[in-house]
Amino acid sequence: MAKQEPKIGVYICRCGCDIEGNISATVDVEKVKEAAASINGVKVAEVYEYVCSNPGQQMIRDGIKEQGLNRIVVAACSPRMHLETFKRNVNQEGLNPYLLEIANIREQCSWIHDDKKLATFKAVDLVGRAVERARNLKPLEEKKVKVNRDALVIGGGIAGINASVELADKGYQVYLVEKGPSIGGHMAQLGKTFPTLDCSSCVITPKMVYVAQHPLIKIFSLSEVTKVDGSPGNFKITIKKRPRYVDASKCTACGECSKKCPVTAKSEFEVGLGSRKAIYQPFRQAVPSAYSIDKVNCLYFTKGVCKVCQKFCKANAVDFMQQEETVELNVGAIVVSTGYEVLDPQGVKQYSYGLNPDIVTHLQFERLLVQGLRRPSTGEQPKKIAFILCVGSRMNETAVENDYCEYCCNIGCMNAIKEAYVFQKEVPDAEPWVFYTDIRAHGKGYEEFYARLRNHGVRFIRGRAAEVMPYNGHLRVRAADTLLGMPIEEDFDMVVLSSGLVPSPGTDNVARMIGIHTGSDGFILERHHKLRPVDTQREGVYACGCALGPKDIRETITESMAVASQVATFLGKGEVPVSAEVAMVDEKKCNGCEECLKICPARAVEKIPSTFRTRMEINPMSCIGCGICVPICPTGAIDLNHSSEEQLMAQVRGVEMKEDVSPKIVAFIEKNTAYASADLAGQTRAHYGPNIRIISVPSTGRVGFKHLLQAFVAGADGVVFVEGEDSSFTGEKLREHVTRLKKDLQAVGVESLRLVSTTITIPQYPKLVDTFEVFTNRVSKIGPLSPKVRSEVGEKLKKLEAGESK
Amino acid sequence: MKYAYFPGCSIHTTAQEYGISSKAVSKVLGIELIEIPEWNCCGAMDAVYAYNPLLSISLSARNLALAESMKMDVVTLCSACFFTLSRANKLLHEDSELKGKVDKLLNDSGLQYTGGVKVRHYLDVLLNDVGLENISKNVKVKLDGLKVAPYYGCMLIRPPNIVNFDDPEHPHSMDKIIEAIGGKNVDYIYKTQCCGASLGLTEQEVMMEMTKDLLLEAKKANADCIALPCPLCHLNMDAKQKTIESAFDIKIGMPVVFFTQLMGVAFGLSPKELALNKNCVPTKKLFSQIHA
Amino acid sequence: MNQQQILPRPKHAITSEMMDKSFLADVIKMRGGQNVLDCIQCGVCAGSCHASWAMDFTPMQIVRMLHLGMKEKVLSSSTIWICASCYTCATRCPRGIDIPLLMSALKNMAIKEKFPAKIPVKPRFHKTFADIVQKYGRIHEPELFLKITNKTDFKGMMQNAKLGWTLLRKGKLKMKAPKVNKKDQWSTLFKNIAKEEGV
Repeated sequence: MAKQEPKIGVYICRCGCDIEGNISATVDVEKVKEAAASINGVKVAEVYEYVCSNPGQQMIRDGIKEQGLNRIVVAACSPRMHLETFKRNVNQEGLNPYLLEIANIREQCSWIHDDKKLATFKAVDLVGRAVERARNLKPLEEKKVKVNRDALVIGGGIAGINASVELADKGYQVYLVEKGPSIGGHMAQLGKTFPTLDCSSCVITPKMVYVAQHPLIKIFSLSEVTKVDGSPGNFKITIKKRPRYVDASKCTACGECSKKCPVTAKSEFEVGLGSRKAIYQPFRQAVPSAYSIDKVNCLYFTKGVCKVCQKFCKANAVDFMQQEETVELNVGAIVVSTGYEVLDPQGVKQYSYGLNPDIVTHLQFERLLVQGLRRPSTGEQPKKIAFILCVGSRMNETAVENDYCEYCCNIGCMNAIKEAYVFQKEVPDAEPWVFYTDIRAHGKGYEEFYARLRNHGVRFIRGRAAEVMPYNGHLRVRAADTLLGMPIEEDFDMVVLSSGLVPSPGTDNVARMIGIHTGSDGFILERHHKLRPVDTQREGVYACGCALGPKDIRETITESMAVASQVATFLGKGEVPVSAEVAMVDEKKCNGCEECLKICPARAVEKIPSTFRTRMEINPMSCIGCGICVPICPTGAIDLNHSSEEQLMAQVRGVEMKEDVSPKIVAFIEKNTAYASADLAGQTRAHYGPNIRIISVPSTGRVGFKHLLQAFVAGADGVVFVEGEDSSFTGEKLREHVTRLKKDLQAVGVESLRLVSTTITIPQYPKLVDTFEVFTNRVSKIGPLSPKVRSEVGEKLKKLEAGESK
Repeated sequence: MKYAYFPGCSIHTTAQEYGISSKAVSKVLGIELIEIPEWNCCGAMDAVYAYNPLLSISLSARNLALAESMKMDVVTLCSACFFTLSRANKLLHEDSELKGKVDKLLNDSGLQYTGGVKVRHYLDVLLNDVGLENISKNVKVKLDGLKVAPYYGCMLIRPPNIVNFDDPEHPHSMDKIIEAIGGKNVDYIYKTQCCGASLGLTEQEVMMEMTKDLLLEAKKANADCIALPCPLCHLNMDAKQKTIESAFDIKIGMPVVFFTQLMGVAFGLSPKELALNKNCVPTKKLFSQIHA
Repeated sequence: MNQQQILPRPKHAITSEMMDKSFLADVIKMRGGQNVLDCIQCGVCAGSCHASWAMDFTPMQIVRMLHLGMKEKVLSSSTIWICASCYTCATRCPRGIDIPLLMSALKNMAIKEKFPAKIPVKPRFHKTFADIVQKYGRIHEPELFLKITNKTDFKGMMQNAKLGWTLLRKGKLKMKAPKVNKKDQWSTLFKNIAKEEGV
């Protein structure tokens, strides 16, 4: 197809009337129109009050229809406002929506600067640059890819159970993978739940049965996911099924085997406070109900003797020869619901956990309450119990190095109040004391529950307990009543520690395996704190429940429903659009060095072996379009759609900055978070100098040495990289990238001070403004780049470009 | 086993028993404690620091500088000296501005400290360098389950990010040594509770209230004696025991010995060699009980 | 607003006027006070302190008063002087605040600014101790016992005299002052330090 000659239309918005508009008040839009009209290739240049309005959009469509325009530039507000609107508009008139470019002359120009002359100059510059980029834009098609309509749920606690139920009821086939012999998680261990005092088992057991009987849910128990390949919508999953040594299809769960088994071990379900046999069912309502053999304690596996269970099993279900199985599945979406674990309070040494059997965690106390409350030491009913809150939680660093949680465990307060209440119901004359720092009763009905219990004789002491000393059959607790400023010392029969909640063991392995991130607290990191709380960084991968952070059951159920909805949206149509803004490898140039595979944050690069040589291929389904792979490729084999080498170089070249501002700074800004921060600076009418020219890039990793050189050739005296703090191009990677570039710059005589980088979150726009100002000062101190160096840089750039075209 | 030995002021004065018995025990175990020549006051923790922080750190730094030229680990007997030197060492490592200041002051006096000294307590050397087995081997006199209340005090074990030696809440280092020499540790609940330290000199009533509980509890636990590793605690519990008895009208009569004195007895050394006559609460009965 | 329009605030209430913001800023700059604003007032320090019963304010309350810039109340409390630096509180503080070091720094501030101490013998004790160490290079107990009490503090004098006698009888009190060689070296060092700190 012959290359179409670009016929560019430039539409400039006043964003208001006359010279009162948001843009026209500072920028002389008529001058901008004049300047645009004089650019080669620009066939139409118009000014309008609100280009985003219907008549404004009509103008553009008319331009396409009547003037044959095949490239549109809109100089108006930030593309984050109306990009989609404009794209749909040009598409309507038959023009490919990727042939549209927006110049941000409001949030990043008219709202930032006061000086009309300089603001206008800058707007002219921005429009000129947009025109250059538009000239090099290429039409792109958004493909659609068929997706597999099955879902994988990892973790069989209440979060995973409910997500599975919701999805299966929507008609999706669900594979529920659980590490232990039964689903149910920690909720199955709880007695009563707050604030309604529902019986936890009564709530979860019917759900577990429903899951077991649902035709669209397949449970893999004693199983773990070992490999995740493929791409969103088409994941290839490998599951390792550990042997149960009992044929689940034959086992009737009669329990005879367990009765006869001679080996006793500590029960995990009873959190060490009870025992089970080597052949066992974790609890009566287990799903699957089949028994399983614990290889570590079983006499047959350790010593080769016994086999009593097999002898007495009437259903002939015991099978010592069972092997580990590997299962491979294809799914379209993955839900991570791996849950939590209780922090071992042994590390919080002053509470003497582990030195006395009457000091227990809140989860152990739940089991004691369910079994019929007795002191582990004497077997008698305890009369006086101290509930100590915030054990191992809300610590940001301590003099002692051990495991701790910086965050609040969310449920400790309410759980202790509930346990105090149940304790009172069970034991006449019970005396529960709660030692708290703050009572967090944030959920529905929580404050009322707390108020009710205060009237019930639960004693609340405001003061984090200082120590627990076991002494002569009692437990001495020391604290201070901080409200009175007086020390408190009292003896108790038992001490219950509301211990912190941490990610269940192996959460970080699962995350790494799937290619998603965990936060600094170790829990799965959501895509966006408010707008996408159950999505992860990868398309098609979601998370819910305590895997994301400690929370109560109500929130867990809510999140599991949200996740089911997200999965349904993703898989519901049977196909998903594949973004067109993806990277592509030119197989002729690829030498199989694998640098792109190593650096890709989204697992999008695949190795394609062939008889002649290995080459790399980028899966458009997985590619997130960050472009980090482009400059890293030693042969220049990779290019990024819609931020191609041609387009980016054109944009940088267009930075002419002819006007008299100094020093001239080019800022490469990551197009999502960092760009939003820059927009916010404009929205709040912050100020920075007109010497700053912002170029939006998918990620600052996209920017390579060549583009830096071009920036300096175009007149820049300094370059800033601003990356979003939550982006996949992490702060550490950014620093490495910049260090390399500084070295390269120094080699051509450009001072390393002329390049800086920073990361930013959206609300941190003052940091952005600060960065610009400080850098401007720094560069003005060392002065503009000398003409000699600038021409040397030009020579180097020419050499590089010549080398590539070979 | 050679060490740069930092005695600390009290070892030559108010806690002579500690210095004398430790030297005797070291001889038996083959530990050579080479006293740092011209050492000065360690920096006295809070006593000097409150008046002049830089003086306190510099006092420590001079000792560390002298020790560094000996190219050996520094070993102290006094828990407070152990803490003070460790803290100064840590501060000099972390605060480069402070180090610069102190370096200049030291250099002007012809001294230099590059930061290479490790500060250890004598208990650490016994446990980790000598080993419990070697200690048991040297036992000649059976302590026959003598009931000892092991009292650790504060500075030996807290805070772990400065002293990093034993568990700050449930320490066992001295317990192990007492068992190795044939003693029996009673279940002493106040083993880590502060005696009042320097309050003994300025706020005696407060110190006595704090120390009285420690003494009475040891008595209640049926201990034959209290063993400890700190001169200041010893002063409060031993030299001031009679004062506490009369102030609260109670009878205690609990011998308070340095753990090295007990070790010496187990090694078969004489009371004179262990300066047992220097303890204020008489130890004659204790000694004869063991040798009975 | 003119004076008549401002609603007067009672003298006994905490107001921003009585908060000394520079006090908090100074404390934050001191070693031990850097993270004092991290305190969530949980009370573990107050619960752990074995001497808190003898203090007019618990350690937690002292930190609270630091937050509110109540300089006079803090520096004239007995708390800062009674703290024995046993470190039980700091070992358990969930924010890693070095409370004993903070108390030392407050003592230092009180001494430097000549704040009348609630327990007058304490600043005297610190000064005496430091002076003796600077004179001899080590502590000299007889001098210490004699000089820390005010001549009018009969009770204190008797207590220390009694201790002195008990120790003397056992030969544990050296009347002769300690001698550290290389006096020029270390006394120059101490003189320079005194110059630095302005004490």
